[in-house]
Amino acid sequence: MIPDPDAMPYPLATPGYETTAPAVPDAGGGRHPQSPGLAIFARAWAKAVTGTSYLPVTPAQLEEFLEGLTIRLVEALYAEPFSLRRGYQIGAALVGAHIASAEGLGRTIEVIELHLLRDLGLAGDNLRDRMARLLGCVAIGYTRALRDRTLDEQESIRRAAMVAREHAEQALRESEARFRHQATHDPLTDLPNRALFTERLEAVFDRDGASGRRLGVCFVDLDGFKMVNDTLGHHAGDLLLTSVAAKLRRGVGEHLVARMGGDEFVILVEDTTCTDDVLKVADAALAAISEPSIVDGQELHVSASIGIVERPVAGTTPSEVMRAADITLHWAKSSGKSRWELFDPERNEREVTRYALSSAMPAALERGEFCLDYQPLVSLCDGRLLGVEALVRWRHPKLGVLGPDKFIGLAEETGLIVRLGSWVLAEACRQARHWIDLSPKAPFVSVNLAVRQVRGPGLVNEVTSLLREHDLPPGRLQLEITESAMMNGADESVDILRSLADLGVRIAIDDFGTGYSNLSYLRTLPVCELKVAGSFVEGLRAPAAEPASLTDERILATLVSLAHTLNLTVTAEGVETAAQADRLRAIGCDAAQGWHFGSPMPPTHVDALL
Amino acid sequence: MRRPDWAPETIDIDRPSAARMYDYFLGGSHNFAVDREAAQAMLAAIPETPLIAQANRAFLRRSVHFLVEAGVRQFLDIGSGIPTVGNVHEIAQAIAPESTVAYVDIDPVAVGHSREILAGNDLAVAIQADIRDPDRILDHPEVLKLIDFGQPVALMIVAVLHYVRDEDRPTEIVARLRSALAPGSYLALSQASGEGRTSAEWDQANAVYQRTDRPLHNRGRDEIAHLFDGFALVEPGVVWVPEWRPDSSHAFEEAERAIYIGGVGRLG
Repeated sequence: MIPDPDAMPYPLATPGYETTAPAVPDAGGGRHPQSPGLAIFARAWAKAVTGTSYLPVTPAQLEEFLEGLTIRLVEALYAEPFSLRRGYQIGAALVGAHIASAEGLGRTIEVIELHLLRDLGLAGDNLRDRMARLLGCVAIGYTRALRDRTLDEQESIRRAAMVAREHAEQALRESEARFRHQATHDPLTDLPNRALFTERLEAVFDRDGASGRRLGVCFVDLDGFKMVNDTLGHHAGDLLLTSVAAKLRRGVGEHLVARMGGDEFVILVEDTTCTDDVLKVADAALAAISEPSIVDGQELHVSASIGIVERPVAGTTPSEVMRAADITLHWAKSSGKSRWELFDPERNEREVTRYALSSAMPAALERGEFCLDYQPLVSLCDGRLLGVEALVRWRHPKLGVLGPDKFIGLAEETGLIVRLGSWVLAEACRQARHWIDLSPKAPFVSVNLAVRQVRGPGLVNEVTSLLREHDLPPGRLQLEITESAMMNGADESVDILRSLADLGVRIAIDDFGTGYSNLSYLRTLPVCELKVAGSFVEGLRAPAAEPASLTDERILATLVSLAHTLNLTVTAEGVETAAQADRLRAIGCDAAQGWHFGSPMPPTHVDALL
Repeated sequence: MRRPDWAPETIDIDRPSAARMYDYFLGGSHNFAVDREAAQAMLAAIPETPLIAQANRAFLRRSVHFLVEAGVRQFLDIGSGIPTVGNVHEIAQAIAPESTVAYVDIDPVAVGHSREILAGNDLAVAIQADIRDPDRILDHPEVLKLIDFGQPVALMIVAVLHYVRDEDRPTEIVARLRSALAPGSYLALSQASGEGRTSAEWDQANAVYQRTDRPLHNRGRDEIAHLFDGFALVEPGVVWVPEWRPDSSHAFEEAERAIYIGGVGRLG
């Protein structure tokens, strides 16, 4: 730490002193002042430096150290020739003993100058000169050592600060990385979460948006996961999710698997060449999930449903892809689960239209966009107009006139069928009254009832009040119900029909022959007419010689015979030709309906027929 | 992913550090200009501050000496500060080389410096922790590597608790640390009292430390004595630090002006 003083020229010294200075202090050359004065001097020295800086020793240790240093001072004082180096070393030794401050040096010089010669009783030639030079050297050695020590300590504390700062920065980076991981991963499964998936998906669009590249997405949802949670508890559910997550990750290789929440996972298949690429991934995912999971010692078997989208990146957006995958997942669920479905844009288009129609229907009903057409039911005996079947139409402002096949199913799904059915019933009754007022040959009006209407509690009252409101003879109203409605019907439905029949309203079975054709209810129900499904009548179009045609004719003849036995009339639906009408008349069918006798028409056209 | 245990949020060396000011008062150069500037303001308030710091450091030296003589070979030094002259491991290992020392400090630079000093010493370690979180200290793997809490331990809390606010419940902190100690363990503790100085001096001193990373919270002798609850005080009890087993009769002339009060207690 302290450079060799001999190597450095001492600017104030004559060259001779340096070159003659001994390398080792001459212990034998000087006088050894082992007098009581030594202890007195050392104690005075110790007292002088105590408190100048912290000394990690006892007072006794300090005095002992300074006694040793005093001996070296005296030796230096008498050394021949005079050695600068001895003085430097004494100065450095003081600093080494932590007597290291400006005050420590000042008081040391003062105490040596004032007390050394006197306390130790020293005398000799040129002693004052030698003392001055020695003190000079002690001060130089001391100052050099103190400066070095100061610089070392400064360097050391700066290094410590730098290291501490580096650690802090590294810790910050690590905690940022950890925070980023936490923000982008699901804590339960450690799979990437929705945020990271969205980020990756958007990156695909940023990168490949204008290229010809394609991508695939599999939207995976476990089947029956809720039941696992409900029956085995959330803990087991969590374990199952963890197990499934691990299998999925293993099963689909390098593709990104993310947990979107709950039991939903999604797989991003980048850079697909064709749909098959993503189907393979979906198959692998289904296979991986179907491996049994061990949860709390139990072997659990789960399956999953997957909605798949595979398309070019250009021309779509991340949210469109995700929506399509979600829709397709529902298709997979509704077509029986444990399978994948591939997104079909045409099917989607149809569903979108259906949805749009479905949601527009209530307002359309309010605005009066629905109307009724009527199709004639004609007697096969004399060609007389017996009745008309009311058929509902929707005059859609954009799509034009829509037939019932376009919207009745939707209305049944949403429940609007009850309100729509009521409207149809009321409108048909109003119209029936109008025709009675118009002509004595007014037809009865036949109205189709939906299953829900027959099951609803208010139908009897509704019909009763309509009849009363329009002063309509009950026999002028016919209610058509389908065979299947009766098959599924509970006792209340039968009671309702009976009440309606008791009012005098005609009850017809629609589409007879297409269901189970259960004959037993014909015995118990107050039915007055069977409407035979058009599919049998269709067979009568072919030449009578054809076996199939003959079979249909025989079935029809049997039905007519059966109906007549039960005192029911029979109306054939879907009669399109005169030949069909002739054959039906020949087998005794009572009435017919179809293009041959008139298409569905607006009520004003019916007016003209009367 | 684990955060290095001693790494703090940020390193602010533009703010005076109590640890580096203490080093300055002891005559060290392990300090920066901001520290020296604050230290000089402290000297203006209480000119004897260096002597007071030295007296406290000497109390540390004498208490470690006493504890090694009493047979303790494990030292947990909390609030060890900048390793300047006369550190616990130097004192203890000079007498009993097998002595182990765990240094704990909140100041990341002090800990960084301690680690540098301790490089190559397998029997001493430095960790960064806050005394207000004693469980973290007691459970720290590096501490547990050197300190066997089944054997007597010397718990050193020297010149630290005046940096802990009353709201942080210093008595409970010491009690929690005590609960981890085996019978035959010791507590050596000192802290700045509010006694022996005028309120003007304290106002000035508090103003200086308010600017540092560790504002002062002085406590009276009774409060300091309370910190030894559960320990049997060794002679001469809780006293001005220069009066605690002095090396010679004239060590410090006006002990009652030494600010620091401390003592050593033994766990039965």
